[in-house]
Amino acid sequence: MRFEFSEDQQELRQTVRGFLERHATPDVVRAAAEQGSGFAGSLWKRLVTEMELTSLAIDPALGGAGASFVEVGIALEELGRTLLPVPFLPTVVAAAALSEAADHHGAVPLLERIVAGAAATIALDAAHASATSRGGAITVSGTVPFVADGAHAEFALLATTLDNQPALLAVELAGPGAQLDAQPTLDQTRSLATLTLSSAPAACLTAPAAGAQAIARARDVLAVASAMESIGAAARCLELTLAYLHDRHQFGRPIGSFQALKHRCADLHVALEPARSTAYYATWTVTGAPDELAVVGPLAQLVAGDALLAISRESIQLHGGIGFTWEHDAHLFFKRAKSSELLCGGRRALRTLIGQRAGIV
Amino acid sequence: MDLRYGVEDDDFRAEVREWLEQNLRGEFARLRGTGGSGREHEEIELRMAWERALGAAGWIGLGLPREWGGRSATLLQQVIFAEEYAKADAPGRVNHMGEHLLAPTLVTFGAITLQRRFLPGILRGEELWCQGYSEPGAGSDLAAVRTRALLEDGSWRIDGQKVWTSNAAFADWCFVLVRTEPGSERHRGLSYLLVPMRQPGIEVRPIVQITGTSEFSEVFFDGARTDASCIVGEAGDGWRVAMGTLGFERGVATLAQQIGFERELAHVLELARANGTIADPDISARIIDAWIELRVMRYHALRTLGSIEPGAASVSKLLWANWHRRLGELAIDVRGPGATTLTGTPYELDREQALFLFSRADTIYAGSNEIQRNIIADRVLGLPRR
Repeated sequence: MRFEFSEDQQELRQTVRGFLERHATPDVVRAAAEQGSGFAGSLWKRLVTEMELTSLAIDPALGGAGASFVEVGIALEELGRTLLPVPFLPTVVAAAALSEAADHHGAVPLLERIVAGAAATIALDAAHASATSRGGAITVSGTVPFVADGAHAEFALLATTLDNQPALLAVELAGPGAQLDAQPTLDQTRSLATLTLSSAPAACLTAPAAGAQAIARARDVLAVASAMESIGAAARCLELTLAYLHDRHQFGRPIGSFQALKHRCADLHVALEPARSTAYYATWTVTGAPDELAVVGPLAQLVAGDALLAISRESIQLHGGIGFTWEHDAHLFFKRAKSSELLCGGRRALRTLIGQRAGIV
Repeated sequence: MDLRYGVEDDDFRAEVREWLEQNLRGEFARLRGTGGSGREHEEIELRMAWERALGAAGWIGLGLPREWGGRSATLLQQVIFAEEYAKADAPGRVNHMGEHLLAPTLVTFGAITLQRRFLPGILRGEELWCQGYSEPGAGSDLAAVRTRALLEDGSWRIDGQKVWTSNAAFADWCFVLVRTEPGSERHRGLSYLLVPMRQPGIEVRPIVQITGTSEFSEVFFDGARTDASCIVGEAGDGWRVAMGTLGFERGVATLAQQIGFERELAHVLELARANGTIADPDISARIIDAWIELRVMRYHALRTLGSIEPGAASVSKLLWANWHRRLGELAIDVRGPGATTLTGTPYELDREQALFLFSRADTIYAGSNEIQRNIIADRVLGLPRR
C-alpha cells in the first residue's frame, strides 16, 4: 500500500503548475471570465495541443497517454487552483465515459477527436431529453439546462432515454437540430449554456441493458473530477488568505497573529486536508477499486465542496472590506464554491444519496 | 499511488486473526468489549493477565527492532494488528503508556542499562506504566511544571503533584517530568525520571469524573524515591525527551481506533432503527454525516500514516475528538427521553449515557482542541506569533 504520488505523477503536477503559473495568471483568468464569455480560448488550445492534458487517460492506441484517472485528477486540481475558464472538466469526464464505451459503436472516433484537441461536454440529468430510434437512425429532443462549457464544446454526451431505456448518447453541437444559448453566469469562471434539441441526430454509446449503469458511473466520475477541482481551488484560496493575514497590519501587528483568526484558519486547514485525502483516494478508486466508486465519488464531492465553501466564505470575511470588492479575487472562489454545490443538486441530495448507497437509509 | 494490501500483509492479517480467535477463549472470552476509554475500571485483573498472554506470544512492541525483542514490523503491519485486535473486540489495553510511549522513548533517548532493565517488562506485559506530565498549574502550559526532584544519597527525591494520570491505580511505574534545577524556568531544567509507583512517598487519589467513574487520578509525591540511574536523557534535557514521547504517535492508533468508532456508530444506527428515530430527518442526516466523516478520517489516516510533519497529529486529534463528541450527542438524542433515567444506583450509566458524558473529555485530554489549533496555526500555517 502506497498513498504517495509516484515520481512521474509529482513531475506531472510540477509541469502543469509551472505552465499555469506562467500563463494562467489572475489577469488572464479575469479577462477570460469577464470579457471572453467564460472561455480562455488561446490558453485552452495550448493545454490540449502542447500539454496534451485532455488525452492523459486515453488509450495510447488512440493517441492518448494511457495514464489513470489519478493523473487526470492532478491536472484538475492544478486547474482548480487557477479558476481558469476552460472546458477541461467536462472534456475529461466525457473522455472517461467514452473510454469505458470504447468497444461500442461510435466512441473511438470521438476519443480521437478529443486527442486532436476537441472539447466535449457531458450532461447527466436524464430528465431533460428523450430519444427515439427509427430504422437505425436515432434522434433526440428536449431542453437541457446548465450544460457546462457547452458553447465551447464540439459534441456532448447526454444521459437520456432511448426508446424508454436509459442510454448515453453523443450529439454534435454544431449539427442540425442542436441549438446552444450561452447563459450569463453567477460564477463567471464557468460557462453554462442551455441546449435545445429538436430531433437532433445522435449516436448511442451504450448497450440497451447497460445504459443506466454507464450513466451512474459517469456521474460518479464527474463527482470525483469536481472534488479534485474544488480541492485545488480551496487550497489556493486558503493560501491567498494566509498571505493576506501576514501582510495586513492593524493595531500595530499582522492580523494573522490574533488567536481569534488563527483558530479559524486552523479549522479551515482541518477541513481541507482530510477532504484532499478523500479526493485523492477517490481518484484512485476510478480504476483501482471501481466497486467503491459509487460511495466514494459522491462522498469526495461532498467533503471537497464543503471545504471550498467554508474556505471561500471565510476568505471574504478574513480579508475584510477588500474581500468584498469586485477587484479582489476572493469572490471568484466563493461563487465557484456555491455554483459547484448547486449544480451537483445540492448538499442535502448528495448526502441522501451517500446514505442510500451506504445502506443507512 | 496504490491502495491495495500486499500478499504479505494479507498473510500477516490472517496470522493475527487466527491467534486472537484461538486465544480470546476460556476465561478471556468475557474480556471482549471491556476496557477502553471511559471503561478502564472493567476486569482489570483479567486484562492484566491478557496483557501477559499477548506479551508471551510476541504481540507487544511489534514495531520495535528485533534486538529489543520486537518484530521490526512495518507501520502497515502495526496497523493490521491493531485493526484486527479492534475487530475482534479484544479488551482495551492496560499498558498503552508503556508500549507506545515509554518503549520508543527508551529506544531513542534511554541509556542501554535502562533499555535492558525496562523494555523486557513492557514487552512481556509484566510491568505497567502511567504518565506523569500534567499538574494542577501545568495543563495546556506543560512547561510550567513545578514538581521537583533532587539527587540525595544516590537517589532522586521527588516532591510535588501530578494530575489526570490514567491507570495510576494499577501501574507499577510512572514516567514523570520534573524540575531538577531549582530556580529554572519553562523548558529548561526539567528531567524525565522513571519512578516506581508502589512506595510510601506516593499517594494516588482517584478523580471522580462527570461520568461518576474514575479513569484518572491525582498522584502526590512526598519524598518519593527512585534510583539515580532512572533518568532518560541527561538531567535538564527532560523537555526534549518528553516532546519526543509525544511525537511517536504516527497514526497507527488512529486507524485502529476507527474500528471501535465504526462499532459505536453501527450501534447508534441499530438503535435508531429499533426505536424509529431513523425516520426523523435530523437524526438520519446526522447519522449519515457521522458515517461520511468516519470514512473521511480513514482516508486521511491512510494518507498521513507515518507522517512526522508538524501538525499531522493535531489534525487527526481534532478530527476524531470532535467526531466522537458529536457521536455522543447523537447517541443520546437517538435514545430520547429514556436516556434521562439511569439503569441503577449510585450512578450506573448505559452505553449511550457513558458515551455522551465521557466524550466531553476527548476534546480536552492529550492536548485540548485549542492547543491543537495553536499548533496548526503556528507550525503548519506559519501564522505570525505576534
